Amino acid sequence: MAIPDKIAAANKINDLLKGIVANGGLRLKYRITVDPPLAEQRDWERPEILVEFVGPDSPLLLERGGELLRSIEFLALEMLRLPGNEHEKVCFDCMNHRGMRLEELRLAAGVAAEKVRKTKMPYEFAPMSSRERRIVHLALRDQSDLRTQSEGEGLRRYVVVYPENYKPAMGKPSRKTLP
Amino acid sequence: MGEPSKIGPTGDMRALIEQIAKALVDDPAQVSVNQVEEAGESVLELTVGPNDLGRVIGKQGRTARAMRNLLSAAGLKFNKRFTLEILE
Repeated sequence: MAIPDKIAAANKINDLLKGIVANGGLRLKYRITVDPPLAEQRDWERPEILVEFVGPDSPLLLERGGELLRSIEFLALEMLRLPGNEHEKVCFDCMNHRGMRLEELRLAAGVAAEKVRKTKMPYEFAPMSSRERRIVHLALRDQSDLRTQSEGEGLRRYVVVYPENYKPAMGKPSRKTLP
Repeated sequence: MGEPSKIGPTGDMRALIEQIAKALVDDPAQVSVNQVEEAGESVLELTVGPNDLGRVIGKQGRTARAMRNLLSAAGLKFNKRFTLEILE
């Protein structure tokens, strides 16, 4: 399902950001694009509203893995009241942080896949957001000798890569959960 | 679309939290933020209507955490600590 009224949503985001930038004393400018052209190699990621920041405070947005960028994005999503499965329709970016993180995750997924093949043991990623977990799942979706699943709860959820026919040893039972 | 930012640290953390809270809740008229100066830090006390508490706290406290992240990042620019308290 698409965002019902993208222009109205973009205007609401603009009002929110105008206040955040001014009240927060942030030296940032931003551009909001409705239905941006699709980035190459990101065919499965189709944001309907793209917000790009530039300015001297860009590094502040990107500290600790883009924590502030994601916080502002989250507040915008909450304001729009988009259900969780539609969060990717709105995308906040700065200095191509998303693109670079995507590349990093794909490389990490490739390394993890090789490790699992060699050791025949599962590999656990660090906890990640649902979007980032999705990138890892998708990066490995065509590897028929492996399977991936998300484990853990809430903010501690992480991706595990398993050999296809892996049988868990005694102890920690594996729990099947949705990504 | 887009607005040029003001240059320089001319921020107002109380207004920042008030504006965000008003955007999040069902009843913006009941939103108020009181700024209290304590030893070395400013405490921002956010009050919202009883039905809107969940809107400003969020699942697993994520909305409140996002506002606190924003406060501490902006606070860095003023060399000042800001704390957000959500009053029930």
